[in-house]
Amino acid sequence: MSENRAPDTVRTIDADGVGGVERTQLQMITRRFLRHRPAMISLGVLVVITLFAFVGPYLWTWDHTVHREIPPSVPPNADHPLGTTTAGNDVLGQLMRGAQQTLKVAFTVSILGTVVGSLWGATAGYYGGRVDSLMMRIVDVFMIVPLLVMVAAIAGSVRGGTTWWAVALIIAAFSWAQIARVVRGVVLSLREQEFVEAARAAGASPGWIIVRHLLPNAAGPIIVAATLLVAVAILLEAGMSFLSFGIQLPDISLGQMIGDARTAASTRPWLFYPPGVLLVVICLTINFIGDGLRDALDPRQTMERR
Amino acid sequence: MLVYTVRRVLGAIPVLLLASVLTFVLIDLSGDPLADLHVQQPPPDPEVIQLQAERLYLDRSMPERYWLWMTGIGGNGDIGLLQGKFGPSTQSATYDIGANIAERLGVTLRLVGAAMVFALGLAVLTGVVSAMRQYSKLDYALTFVGFLALAMPTFWFAGLVQQAGVSFNELVGTPFFATVGDGTYQAQGLSPWGRFTNALAYMTLPTIVLMLTSFASWSRYQRTSMLEVLNSDYVRLARAKGLPNRVVVRRHALRTALIPLTTVVAVGMAAIIDGTVLTERVFQWRGLGEFFIQAVEANDSFALMAWLMLSGTTVILANLIADLLYGVLDPRIRYE
Amino acid sequence: MHERRKSLALAAAGASAMMVLTACSGSGGGPAEGEREVTWVINSLPAAWASTNGSGSVYTVQMLSGVIPHTGVWQPDGTYEYNMDVLAEEPQVINDDLDAGPFQYSFTLHEDAVWSDGTPMTGEDLRVTAMMSASPDEGYCTTCDSRGTTNADMIDTMEVDGKTITITLKEGLSDPEWMSQFDSTSASGGFYPSHLAEENGWDVDDPDELGEFFTWLHETRPEWSGGPWMIVDGDLENQVVKEPNPEWWGDPVQLDRIIMPFNTDEGTFVNAFNNGEIDGANPAQFSEDVIAELEGVPNATVTIGEGSTWEHIDINTENEWLSDVELRRAIFTAIDRDDIANRTYGQGFPDYELKNNHIFDSNSEYYVDHITPTGQGSGDTEAALEILEEAGYELDGDTLTLDGEQVGPFRLRSTDTVVRNNSVQLIQAHLAEIGIDTTIEMTDNLGEMLVGQDYDIVEFGWSGSPYFTSSPEQFWHSESSSNFGGYSNSEVDELTEMTGTAANRDEAAEYANQAMEILVEDAYVLPLLADPNYFFVNDRVAGIEDNLYSSLRATYNIGEWSLAE
Repeated sequence: MSENRAPDTVRTIDADGVGGVERTQLQMITRRFLRHRPAMISLGVLVVITLFAFVGPYLWTWDHTVHREIPPSVPPNADHPLGTTTAGNDVLGQLMRGAQQTLKVAFTVSILGTVVGSLWGATAGYYGGRVDSLMMRIVDVFMIVPLLVMVAAIAGSVRGGTTWWAVALIIAAFSWAQIARVVRGVVLSLREQEFVEAARAAGASPGWIIVRHLLPNAAGPIIVAATLLVAVAILLEAGMSFLSFGIQLPDISLGQMIGDARTAASTRPWLFYPPGVLLVVICLTINFIGDGLRDALDPRQTMERR
Repeated sequence: MLVYTVRRVLGAIPVLLLASVLTFVLIDLSGDPLADLHVQQPPPDPEVIQLQAERLYLDRSMPERYWLWMTGIGGNGDIGLLQGKFGPSTQSATYDIGANIAERLGVTLRLVGAAMVFALGLAVLTGVVSAMRQYSKLDYALTFVGFLALAMPTFWFAGLVQQAGVSFNELVGTPFFATVGDGTYQAQGLSPWGRFTNALAYMTLPTIVLMLTSFASWSRYQRTSMLEVLNSDYVRLARAKGLPNRVVVRRHALRTALIPLTTVVAVGMAAIIDGTVLTERVFQWRGLGEFFIQAVEANDSFALMAWLMLSGTTVILANLIADLLYGVLDPRIRYE
Repeated sequence: MHERRKSLALAAAGASAMMVLTACSGSGGGPAEGEREVTWVINSLPAAWASTNGSGSVYTVQMLSGVIPHTGVWQPDGTYEYNMDVLAEEPQVINDDLDAGPFQYSFTLHEDAVWSDGTPMTGEDLRVTAMMSASPDEGYCTTCDSRGTTNADMIDTMEVDGKTITITLKEGLSDPEWMSQFDSTSASGGFYPSHLAEENGWDVDDPDELGEFFTWLHETRPEWSGGPWMIVDGDLENQVVKEPNPEWWGDPVQLDRIIMPFNTDEGTFVNAFNNGEIDGANPAQFSEDVIAELEGVPNATVTIGEGSTWEHIDINTENEWLSDVELRRAIFTAIDRDDIANRTYGQGFPDYELKNNHIFDSNSEYYVDHITPTGQGSGDTEAALEILEEAGYELDGDTLTLDGEQVGPFRLRSTDTVVRNNSVQLIQAHLAEIGIDTTIEMTDNLGEMLVGQDYDIVEFGWSGSPYFTSSPEQFWHSESSSNFGGYSNSEVDELTEMTGTAANRDEAAEYANQAMEILVEDAYVLPLLADPNYFFVNDRVAGIEDNLYSSLRATYNIGEWSLAE
């Protein structure tokens, strides 16, 4: 039973908890998503970019660091298809590494934010009353803080260089609240349902009910929110890099590359456009995938995004 | 209604209190307000550092500092949020955080106000058009533009906008758009009309940049909520009754579809505040966004805390107003 | 007033769709045909209205250019010139023979020199300025926290006689750079109007009240001026506006107004320049693409030269491996400075020059090349390996060993700027070739890292001025708190002390060069190069040039700026 759990965790609110119905539900969702053309194309593009970022470095001659053999600041050519920097970095190598770090940050934020946010929101929604109101006040606190500035204020004084996971942790620490709020809303409406009552009557612990019954049923909104959080994290990281609070050199991220090459648009376009375009494309594909998922999971669901 | 308002205002107090604790602890732990003094070459007298530490209340324990920061009781008369004093600054002994914020508030409000008004107007317009022409080419195009806007880093987009502004100027042969500064100085001594065109010259580009993200997400939201209303029973009923389409859309659908937007706009305040930090830097406005960056760079703890409390209060207020508006706009909702 | 604004507003109206209305817009104010206005960018916010205290920066100094009078300034060619508008005659050393008596010198101000309110400048202004520049221990002022107290703290007595001040140093002290006391390089950037203290009710001889005057100067926008320009409008956030000082007694200025906006973002320069919003700037940072783009603009003049900050690599001599001088020499020899320079500044500034003397640049009369003959910084891997071999090190494959033990790895640190970041990556590559493994660790708290000696090899910068006599002691004396790497050599200690207290600059330079000779032998600090700075200006402005020997930069001769015919 537990092996089978993952694929059929997606239920909707109106599902009556009957296995057969779930199956059709899942198939319907899949079919709807597959038919969402922009989302499918985006998924394809995102997979290609991910391969580029994670597999590319193994195939390509140059990494992102400075090498004495690389001629400084040359435009794209056969040896360096995207040109080189003044110091002697291969821009293609940088782009792969940059995309990799950016995606690592973004997915880590999304996973951490979603796990923490879901558990938090579900716990609050399940218990209700005082617990709920205390937990949601804390969520409110995180919601009123402008993400970028909070993150910048903290990251500005992180000692001894900032690595990708530090950046991810900081962003995640301030972006789980949105998901907590979404999940709580769904759980509030679920907790009085019969299958929850039944589980409770059968003596299931609250933890079990939250993880086994409530969260799977809130999966739709959670997945959509988690997807969109990826794009939010990418843009936040870029903003931090611009204010020079992001990942520190010699490591590199797309945001860092964009920030560094901000003045190079007309003089050295090979530094300016590749990271910017790649970042926009990644965010764009994620938005379309999120859109497709939303349409597929719950055509009536209206997710509010930041 | 009044009871509800009072209840909501009272409910905001614990949130603000919690926010103050979080802000205080995080900022207090993360920065060293004396960092600049430690770096100074040749190194200053230890006595100078000691005096500075005392001035910034760094000789007290953290709970004591929090208490001071909130109440000002036991301080030197320059601290205590409840007395309207924001605490000493690292930037200089006489740098008045409160006065500085007040001075810059106008600059930022001008930008935020313009951006919100235009973002909202455009978002409603495109959202409605998109919904009414669902699955048309126009809808797809607007959707794409919206997603593109959401995918662009603000500062990158700002560079493109500035360049476009300069190109426009070169095209028409007169410097119409300005790219740096807020134009306050330039407005001195101008006629009202001159002041208006001056404002237009200085505000257009930053407003475009700041409204981008909000416009995109609000427009998406407006589209969805409009679609929902258009597919609802009562709109179908209105149509079935034979009311002309325009009347249905304007009188029935649009009004209802606007209601949820109030909440979204309020929640979006935080994102706009984020945006001001980047926009003000790129256009060199000296508003609250720049105040924030300066405070980070100067390790100015109390200034940062003041800033974060202010923005927190703003967002809470915006949410409160949105909730109350909700009640006014939606006849179905009655607050008791 | 504000002619340019006016025409901008008109143009804006013309370009807008509501063109009909332009007819009404002309009534705002009279046209001021041919107002001569220049907009000159200050690259950061000046934190205060005076530069003496710790918050004083080059930006404050540049903002106050043409307002605060000073007695002299270093010229773009590296020579020193007294300000003969302000001085009646070249100031004199009265006695520099310590056996005959205390060190003594005097300044006499120009007969016509007046402040903008008509009050004559006197020796009293100089005396009060010196009192505020001294440390509180001297007893003049309780709360003055001057950022440069060296010269003022040597003073024993000051005698004022009208326009003349005679300064006597404490017994046994001499000040080879006494002329800097009131010049543009001093902490105050010149001297202040002491009569304003009295006008505000402060007694300058009361240490508490002098402190209040000091604070007032830093916090109040000067409505006074002792130079060709005075500040008529502005704040510390957006810009200052300068108009001619009606009481200026020297050659009249050639412009009607100078606006100095504060702009912290180099990324905006090109657009703002092309848009006619700014006429130029002397940025603090080197920005290859901005330079390249400006060089392509037809009406822009761009110049690049060596600035006052120089990069260098220091070794922590207290590391157990690095305490060996032979290893240090080998490391310095393996580092290819030319490669580093070429890959940091070479593209934007192909004329870069490596720095072969820690204190003097190659234009200086005191310049001696200490580095090249030693082969340090040459990147000569063979030579480096030879040194190591002779000292008993062995190359085991790709790893350098001593008695079978791996040497290092070393922590190679710096701050996270593009230039330094590139350099450390290159240094890492260079050292790998002699089998030395390094790990790069960047910091954003340079001071803490240095003071904590938390590094093995570090790259950072010192900024200097042509005044040098106190630097060697600060950098290399074993007791100095700025000698971070724990270097200690009694000969160097003695020589640096003698540099600071020599009777004149020639003598001081002699000692400084001797100290450097030993220092280079000991392979403690390897200078790389001076960071280049650029300057750009619209060709419509004339009589303007960058001055990299002065923190005033291009504003050093702001009184002579004009518009091209």
